[in-house]
Amino acid sequence: MTERRRERIDRGIKKRSEDVFALASWREMLYLAGPRLLPVALVLFLPPLLSPYWQKVMLSVGVFGLLAVSWDLLAQAGMISLGQALFFGMGAYGAGLLDRYLGMPPFLSLPIAAVLGGLVSTLLLLPVLRLRGIYFSMVTLILPLMLVRVIEATKIFGGTEGLSGLTPWPSVWVEMYLILGALLAALFGFRRMLAADYGLVLKGIRDNDRSVTSAGINIYVYKAQALFIAAAVGGFAGAFMTHVYLFVGMPVFALDYSILPIAAAVVGGPGGLAGATLGAAILVPLSEALRGFGGLRIVFYGVFLVVFIVAVPEGIFSFVRRKYHQFERWVEVD
Amino acid sequence: MKRFGGRLSLASVICVAVLGTGVMAWAAEPIVLGVPTSLGFLEGKESLRAVKMAVEEINATGGVMVGDEKRPFAVESLDIRDAAPGVPVPDALLGIEKIILEKKPAALLVGPFRSEALLAAMDLIAKHRVPMLGTIAMSPASEAKIKEKPAKYKYIFRLCLNAKYLVKYLAGSMAFIKERFGFDKVYILNQDVAWARKTAEITTQVYFDKAGWTVVGHEAFPTGTTDFSSALMKVRAKGAQVILPIFDMPQSGILVKQWNGMKVPAVMAGFISPLAGPGAWKTFDEKIGGAVNCNFEMGSAISSEKMEQSVEFLDAYEKRWGEPIQAGHGPAPSYESVYVLKEAIERAGSLAPDAVVEELEKTNRTGVMGQIHFDEGHQAVYDINPKTAAVAAVFQWTSDGGRTLVFPPELAAGEIQLPEGLKPAK
Amino acid sequence: MLIGTAIYALINSFILALMAMGFNLTFGISGVANFAYGAFYVMAAYGAWIFTHKAGLPYGVAVMLSIGLTTMGGALMYRFVLMRVRGQTLSEVIATFGMGLAILELFRYMGFVGFEYTLPNLVEGSVFFLGVYVDYQRLLIVAVGALMVVGLWLFTRFTSLGLAFRGIAQDERTALTFGMDPDRIATIAVAFGAGLAAIAAVVIVPLGTISPEEGYDVLIKALAVCIIGGLGSTGGVIAASFLIGFAERFTDAYIGSHWTMIVSLAAILLVLAVKPSGLFGHQKELEERI
Repeated sequence: MTERRRERIDRGIKKRSEDVFALASWREMLYLAGPRLLPVALVLFLPPLLSPYWQKVMLSVGVFGLLAVSWDLLAQAGMISLGQALFFGMGAYGAGLLDRYLGMPPFLSLPIAAVLGGLVSTLLLLPVLRLRGIYFSMVTLILPLMLVRVIEATKIFGGTEGLSGLTPWPSVWVEMYLILGALLAALFGFRRMLAADYGLVLKGIRDNDRSVTSAGINIYVYKAQALFIAAAVGGFAGAFMTHVYLFVGMPVFALDYSILPIAAAVVGGPGGLAGATLGAAILVPLSEALRGFGGLRIVFYGVFLVVFIVAVPEGIFSFVRRKYHQFERWVEVD
Repeated sequence: MKRFGGRLSLASVICVAVLGTGVMAWAAEPIVLGVPTSLGFLEGKESLRAVKMAVEEINATGGVMVGDEKRPFAVESLDIRDAAPGVPVPDALLGIEKIILEKKPAALLVGPFRSEALLAAMDLIAKHRVPMLGTIAMSPASEAKIKEKPAKYKYIFRLCLNAKYLVKYLAGSMAFIKERFGFDKVYILNQDVAWARKTAEITTQVYFDKAGWTVVGHEAFPTGTTDFSSALMKVRAKGAQVILPIFDMPQSGILVKQWNGMKVPAVMAGFISPLAGPGAWKTFDEKIGGAVNCNFEMGSAISSEKMEQSVEFLDAYEKRWGEPIQAGHGPAPSYESVYVLKEAIERAGSLAPDAVVEELEKTNRTGVMGQIHFDEGHQAVYDINPKTAAVAAVFQWTSDGGRTLVFPPELAAGEIQLPEGLKPAK
Repeated sequence: MLIGTAIYALINSFILALMAMGFNLTFGISGVANFAYGAFYVMAAYGAWIFTHKAGLPYGVAVMLSIGLTTMGGALMYRFVLMRVRGQTLSEVIATFGMGLAILELFRYMGFVGFEYTLPNLVEGSVFFLGVYVDYQRLLIVAVGALMVVGLWLFTRFTSLGLAFRGIAQDERTALTFGMDPDRIATIAVAFGAGLAAIAAVVIVPLGTISPEEGYDVLIKALAVCIIGGLGSTGGVIAASFLIGFAERFTDAYIGSHWTMIVSLAAILLVLAVKPSGLFGHQKELEERI
């Protein structure tokens, strides 16, 4: 009896398209562009085909996708956030306040709130950046939950009732393509950033902060920058949601906004931002389909987190990518 | 063998299909009632059970007469979790929208817990034009919204007590206490949420300030507070004779426990959700004798001998579900709402939302909670006479674990007694 | 009023110390930040409730059984989940967080919400003391808290297992050369942490109710205490408990109950800004600060 093993080999087309010969045929070009064009095509053509309810879900995919991308960005620099709700809430309140007290139109308040939210979050977390390890997780977990209490106690920004009756986006389609466009921009833009030297430094901080320091690089500056970028992305999602629901209040700091993005990033596969986006695109609709189960959904997220991090730490995306680039066959062992 | 199996399954499929269509031809298409609420919470769970019970009763008599066809009710529930602290309002809204779009309900019952969620849901409900009979959220803000734009928001009705009527009841029982024992120093403790804050505020304005009471202290607690010792020490230090608590969070039971443990010499009289049901006696180790509690609707965990239907309702509930009602807010109006809707549909002769709403506005039904009719804010009118309006119920825990109805006076089974160890002020 | 507040502040401090001790112990020894800590606390309380109300066991037996099972739960979690991702902080945090989430939300889903979910006092009655009534249960908390602190101190200094704990905590590799198995010690450490959470639960819960929120709340309080005191430092935990415990009760009494959370938040931000590794985080400072 001969023993056999499974062998994994790159597809021929992958090899061919790695070189300049990629330009030789449409097939090779499509092979390269396909994975990038597919999400773009989905984003462009899927929404009009959906029922109004599933369009809402698509909107959620965009928002949670952004939060997951933001989480993944931080994770790349070794900061594990358990409180994406902090960034989301900061942006949401920022947009709400700009709208209510300064009467800003949504297109203006969105970017300003994102930047402001990013700044405030960064300032709040700045002291923790000096610490390594789990401190960042601990502080991000408790900050949003405590900020809720601050709003409740001081009755600022509408207190427990929040601010309602804010300005909506001009139309559902603006809404839809704005958030999905932002998600794609964040996905491709930050992927590029991570592939560049800048991203290398961030990953270096995660892997060995001391050697990055000894290379003469001020890691706190890099960490703070990464934090600001991630917080602004999260804030963007929050500010956007404020103008969708025309309401901002204490629930924007809810734990749900922290849990789902982590679950999405972990299920999709942390590391390349694409996994986080894919995770959100899988988990959010799944969570809608499971809505009938009520609170059990959150239990599933918890279980997903554990199972994926322990058994499939590379996530779904890397599996998909492997299948795309490689094929497997059984060979006999000599 | 394989072929035989295939044939068998084919045959069974045909059988099922034939039977299925047969059944469908025989029974009219059911009228779907959507129940989107927080099912993880006691009030939500028991309200859903009350709705199911009413539906079963109605279906047992053949169903609802729509035009000239009898159709049964069917219940579709969905947990929107809005009462849980970590859940964003938009998520609850998406749940409501889901049940509307996917189950195509003829009406929504029970509805959100938090007034914040109800207010936000009103636009959604107006958009989809589904009549809704809410029985949990109770901020008067929704009525204001209806009055402002009746054409848009006319689909929303409320059968449970609202904060405004609660004040009436609280003031009534306070007047009782003052008259009997001469107490006039009150300390108000309330949960820091819209309805409770409003209730405390209005009670102070319309009653305490005018009736010669001194409010010696007033404190609001964030939802989830677990230590009330400081406040209770202040109650003692300032010589308050009555504590007016207004809470609907499970943790408010701790207030009762601490009040006991610290032996605070003041009567506890107000609303604390954990004190509402018969189970409270055991929960609090038989140490709540003397506490006065206002259940929001007659029939929600309390009945009056003088209102037969309320007694029957509690008995029927216990028989159907094997345990008594514990929630002092929700089950009775939820049960009634099914009947109110049934009668409106029958009068309208159709399920068209606007026709049903028009008939709902004309509701005049006497049931578990007394007589039900709506005002122009689509709020069921509450008063102290069950013949002319719906009633709530104020009762006192006796030292042997019984509950004596003490207010409204027409229904009272006894008078307020002073807890052991307290002396009247006159 | 002042003395009364001080007495309740003292009790509050012991409550906080009890809540934080298990988390701190686990982290101090094995370096695992157990974000499922709150879930273990709640699980122990529900366990005791289920054993008394559904299985009809006597209360004392139910409590013991529940503490034992929770301790085992901690050990199992380490053996079957954490051991596979040992040393990868990211994975440890997410795995424990996910476990905690699943446990807490499962209880919520199964309908364990409401005021009937509470445990009876272990001792009944109350005593009039310096102008306030204090129930015996609260005194019991103080006693148990003090006992735990002293017990842990003795344990880590005068038993071989305790010394092994400290050895692993100080230098895992050197301890390895002395024949101490880090995985075994870490299993015990996580189990001990869970057990301490369970003990805290059965003495503290009778004052209130059991709910999934309580799980998040306990975790937050434990984290706050540990951040202020300095992770992994027992002295720090005690000092921070007293700091927060007194600050909370006194703000509650003299400013308003709303501000208690803000005081803790302010304390955390202040400590982080001035001394990021916590009041007593000396040993870890270089490690954590790079």
